[in-house]
Amino acid sequence: MRRADRAGAILLLLFGVWFAAVALRNYTYWSATGPGAGFFPFWLGVAMAALAALLLVRAAREADPGPAWVPRGRGAVRFLGVLGASVAFVALMPWVGMAPGTVLFLVVILKAVEGHSWPVAAGVAVATAAVNWAVFAFWLRVPFPAGVLGF
Amino acid sequence: MDLFANLALGFSIAFTPFNLTMAAAGVILGTLIGALPGVGPVSGIALLLPLTFGMPPTSGIIMLAALYAGSMYGGTITSVLINTPGEAASVVTCIDGHQMARQGRAGAALGIAAIGSFVAGTIGVVLLMGMSPLLARWALSFGPPETFALMLLGLTTVTGLTGENALKGYISMVLGLMLSMVGFDLISGDARYTAGLNEMLDGVDFLPVAIGLFGLGEVLAGAERAVRMEILSARYGLRDVLPSLADWARSRWAIARGTVLGFVIGVLPGAGPTIATFLAYSLEKKVSKHPEEFGRGAIEGVAAPESANNAASAGAMVPMLTLGIPGSATTAIMMGGLMMWGLRPGPLLFEKNPDFVWGLIASLYIANVMLLILNIGFIPVFVRALRIPYSILMALIVVFCITGAYSQNNKLWDVGQMLVFGVVGYGMKKLDYSPAALVLALVLGPLAERALRQALIISDSGVLILFQRPISAVLTTLAIVAVAVPVVRAVRQAVAGRGPTMAPTPPSTRQ
Repeated sequence: MRRADRAGAILLLLFGVWFAAVALRNYTYWSATGPGAGFFPFWLGVAMAALAALLLVRAAREADPGPAWVPRGRGAVRFLGVLGASVAFVALMPWVGMAPGTVLFLVVILKAVEGHSWPVAAGVAVATAAVNWAVFAFWLRVPFPAGVLGF
Repeated sequence: MDLFANLALGFSIAFTPFNLTMAAAGVILGTLIGALPGVGPVSGIALLLPLTFGMPPTSGIIMLAALYAGSMYGGTITSVLINTPGEAASVVTCIDGHQMARQGRAGAALGIAAIGSFVAGTIGVVLLMGMSPLLARWALSFGPPETFALMLLGLTTVTGLTGENALKGYISMVLGLMLSMVGFDLISGDARYTAGLNEMLDGVDFLPVAIGLFGLGEVLAGAERAVRMEILSARYGLRDVLPSLADWARSRWAIARGTVLGFVIGVLPGAGPTIATFLAYSLEKKVSKHPEEFGRGAIEGVAAPESANNAASAGAMVPMLTLGIPGSATTAIMMGGLMMWGLRPGPLLFEKNPDFVWGLIASLYIANVMLLILNIGFIPVFVRALRIPYSILMALIVVFCITGAYSQNNKLWDVGQMLVFGVVGYGMKKLDYSPAALVLALVLGPLAERALRQALIISDSGVLILFQRPISAVLTTLAIVAVAVPVVRAVRQAVAGRGPTMAPTPPSTRQ
C-alpha cells in the first residue's frame, strides 16, 4: 500500500497541476463582472496538488509497507472474471441484445467463474433476464439495444 | 397553513394505492437490502433510483425513503444471526445481539430491535416534521455567501468524519468537485474539461458514478473474498419475539436515549446513523447499572443502537430537505434523485412542493408501521433470503448496475462511465479513499461553485465577504476548523515521520 500511495500521490499531484493549468490557459479566471469559468477549477487544482504533496511526503516517510492490496490467487480470478465479463457484456450489447446478453453474462459468471451447477446457472440467468426485461423494457419502456435476435 | 392541515394533505397523498404500493415495495426491498451483507442503503438507493424515473417524484421519494428506513431494520437480522453486520449502522448490534442469539434469545433481540426501531423511527419523523419548517423558514434568508459557507461546512465535516483516513477523504472530495466541473459552465457558457467529446458536454452524470462506486465497486471488492456464513437457527413465534416485561423494563429508557441521541446526530452534517449507533452503545454502557453484562448479551446493547440508527436516518433527511445539504452518501444520492426529478432541495421546497414534502412525511409514518409488522411477523422470510449465496447475489447486482446505468438516458456511454467508476470505487475502497466524499462533492460541486461566484460578484472585499456576514462567518469558521484539525495533525506527523496513519476517527459514516 505504501508504494500504491506514492504512485497515487504523484499521479494526483500531476493531475492537480494540469487541472489548474488548463483552468488558467483555457478559461477566464476573472472577468469584468466577477470570477469567470476558470476561477473555481484553478483553486481546485491547487488544492489537489497541495493535498497530494502532503500525501506524498507522508507516504515517503512511512516505514511500514502496509497490507497488500492487489488481489491474488482465487480472489484475482474472480475479480478479473467479473470485471472482464461485465466489460464484454456492455461492449457486445449492441449486437447481442440486452436479454440474451444478460443470460449469457450470468451463465458465464455463475458457471465458469463461480462453479455453480448448470441447472442453477441457467435457471438464475433465464429468470433474471425475464424479470429485468419485464420491469425495465416492458413496464418502464426503456429501449434496450435489440441485437441480432430482435430483443 | 398549520401543521395538521399539512399532515392531512400528506396522508391524503400517502394513502393513494400507488403510493402505498411504493412504500410497501420500499420497506420490503429495504429490509432485504439491509439484511444482505454486501449491499447497504447507499448501493440499494443508487441501484433503485433508475426505477423511479417513470414515476411522479413523490412516489419515487416515498419508495427511496421507505427503503432507507427498511435497511435500518433489516441490518439487525444479519448482525444477530450471523455476527456479520448487514450494513454499517448495525455493526455494534453484533456485539450483544449475537451473544443473545447464542443464548437462544435471537427472537427477543430481533423483537426489541424492531420495537425500538419503530418507536425511534416514528418519533424521528415527528421531530423531522416539527423541525424542518422552522429550519426552512430560517434558511430562506440565506444569500449566496451563507449558501456557500453551508456547503463548505457540509463537505468538510462529512469528509473529515468519513473513513479512517482524513487526508485521503479530502483528496476524494476535491476529486469529486473536479469531476463536477466537467461540461457546460452555466454562467459563462464555456465547455470545460470535455476533451472535445460531445458526450462530456452534459458533464459527469452522478447516477452512473454512484452506481459504479457503490454497486459495481462493492461487488468487485467483495468478489475477492469468499464468504462463508453460518446462520444460527432460532424460533420466531410471537411469544419468542415480543419482549418479556423484564426485557421491556430494561430497554425502554435505552430506546428513549437512543432515539434522542440518534436524531440529533443524524441532523448534524457528517455524522450519520453509523456514528449514532456507536455513541448510543457507549452511552448505554456508561449509564447502565450493570455495565459488565455488555458484550455478553445485554438487551440494552441491542435496543439503544437499533433505535439510534432509525432516528438518525430520519434526522439525516432534515438538512437534505430544508437546506439542500446532504449529510451522508445515502442522502446525497437521494438529493441527486430529487434534482433529476426537477426539484430543488432547499428552503423553497416546503413552499413550492408541499405535496412532495408532506406526502413523504406521512409515508414515513406508514412505512414505520409496515416495518414493525414485517419485522415482528415475517422474520423467517428474511432469514431464508440470507441463504442466497453471495456469488449469485453479486452477479445479479452487476446486472442491475448495468441496467440502471443504461436506463437513465438510454445510452451505453453511461454504462461505460459506470464500469470505469466501478474500478475506481474498487481502488478507492482498497486504498482507503472515500467514495462517499466523492459522490457528495459531485452532487454539491456545481451548486457550491455558483454560490461562491455569486458571493464574489456581490462582494467588494473578495472572499472576505464570507466572514463579514454573521451566519456565513460562523459556518465558514467551523468549516475551516473541520479541515484544519486533521490537516495540521497530518503535517505534524509528516514532519515527525512517525505514525502510519492519522489518529483513528470513527468508522465510515457513508451509510
